[in-house]
Amino acid sequence: MQAIFKREFLSYFRTPVGYVAMAIFTFISGFIFYTQFASGYVSISQEIITLRALFIVIVPIITMGMFAEDRRRGTEILYYTSPIEMFSVVAGKFLAAMALYFVMFINVFIHMIVVSACGGAVDAGVVGSVLVFFFLAALFISIGLLASVLTDNQIISAIVAFLFILVVQLLSVIGNYCGTAVSTVMSYMGISSSARNAANQAVSGFIGWFDPFTKTEDFSIGLFSVSALVFCISFAIFFLYLSFRILEKKRWSQK
Amino acid sequence: MIEIKNLVKHYGDKKAVNDISFTVNDNEILGFLGPNGAGKTTTMNIITGYLSSTSGSVKINGHDILEEPALAKKAIGYLPEQPPLYLDMTVDEYLKFICDLKQVPAKERKEHINTIMDMVGISAVSGRLIGNLSKGYKQRVGLAQALVGDPPILILDEPTVGLDPNQIIGIRKLIKQLSKNHSIIVSSHILSEIQEIADRVVIINHGKVAAVDTIMDLSQRLSGTSKILMSFNGPAKDVSARLKMIPGIADVYIRNAGNPGEVEITLAPKAGNDVRANAFFMMAKSGWPILEFRSLIPSLEEVFLSITAG
Repeated sequence: MQAIFKREFLSYFRTPVGYVAMAIFTFISGFIFYTQFASGYVSISQEIITLRALFIVIVPIITMGMFAEDRRRGTEILYYTSPIEMFSVVAGKFLAAMALYFVMFINVFIHMIVVSACGGAVDAGVVGSVLVFFFLAALFISIGLLASVLTDNQIISAIVAFLFILVVQLLSVIGNYCGTAVSTVMSYMGISSSARNAANQAVSGFIGWFDPFTKTEDFSIGLFSVSALVFCISFAIFFLYLSFRILEKKRWSQK
Repeated sequence: MIEIKNLVKHYGDKKAVNDISFTVNDNEILGFLGPNGAGKTTTMNIITGYLSSTSGSVKINGHDILEEPALAKKAIGYLPEQPPLYLDMTVDEYLKFICDLKQVPAKERKEHINTIMDMVGISAVSGRLIGNLSKGYKQRVGLAQALVGDPPILILDEPTVGLDPNQIIGIRKLIKQLSKNHSIIVSSHILSEIQEIADRVVIINHGKVAAVDTIMDLSQRLSGTSKILMSFNGPAKDVSARLKMIPGIADVYIRNAGNPGEVEITLAPKAGNDVRANAFFMMAKSGWPILEFRSLIPSLEEVFLSITAG
């Protein structure tokens, strides 16, 4: 796993991928920090929450080539024919992407130092926001990695990852729409309003339950919840395991 | 040692590999031949664990590739048709990465890599990006990665593709040298190359083993007993009649009369008969000088074409 991690992490800096991701992240975080600083009120938590919106752009960029590129250039044969476990390949690539996120995040750490130096507070809310950021990064990178396993084409992989992440980011909105839609259908069927409201709430509540942003929103005010972190990490492990199973299945393919 | 038993691989309705069985002994070079699409690469991919078989088994030094994959894979060095290279790495970095994958102890790495680079002749480019190397060098870097970890079994799919004649000779010598303590499967379309280095050949066609033997035995089996070509100065019909009287000669064919006075004939001996000495003395006694006298053993190319035709 260490070998894969090292190779993948260094490869981000041998190609434009790592630099493009870092440039986007650094520019946006720098812009947010500068704007806040200029207004006289800096909230690192707010900066981190805003930066989470970049997952949908940066994660597809850094994950699109993870397996698709290996398949294209024929290097995946190295993993299958070496005495290493395929899951350690998946884990190594995942950890390399996480490490790239950590490197990008150094910029935010510098902002924290500047805030502290200027007498600002780096409180539990900031710690919570940082924690949530990395747990969400783990979740979205595992989704991007799965997208890379599913297709041989990097562009399609990036689009699939983009759509997956978009759906996750809009889960609350999708839940509300689905709840309203169910309620509307029920009203045409002449079902009572109390039953309609209950169905509406059940559907939107069920879909919304999968929304990692809602689950972790209290971290930024210093209220930590272990279950929210377990939720993120469980789904990340699930997607990584799914990727591993799909890679193993390809070896057994009869097509 | 590699033991392959009843290997089958289905791709949908098509049987890419159909009940293939053969063994590769220790310190032996086995030429693996077949026309395009015969199932060579699929078989090699199954042997190395890259693909799974539909049924059948592959044992590498006694370890089943599916039941004990780590032990089996540690014993194999594989050079696929397209060398698995990271073009963004230098040769040295790449071989270090392969050492990591093949779990070569850290202490031995530097010396091990230097030895392999010397062996395949890439020391001079160790610091260069693989993406900037010529095709020949890339092929040799691919061969170097197969040698990392000193696996006792090497599987080389078209190892000399893209090399110039000098490099081909160099790699051939290297394969011969490696066969002193390695079992090697070599697949190549250059039959003269296989003829030169292989101890035995397996020819597969339409996913099935069409022949397994030494090249000499295959040639003789194909030709029955080796025919003999003889050219001489003398009357063709008389010579033919006299030769037919020698016991052990089944037939005599007059091939052509090339230069004036020079006749070329083919002798077809009966199975198990060596008629060369009798033919020679008969010609000498009759005063018909022999200009050329040689066995007509089919080349590997002729054997291959004969077996894979149709």
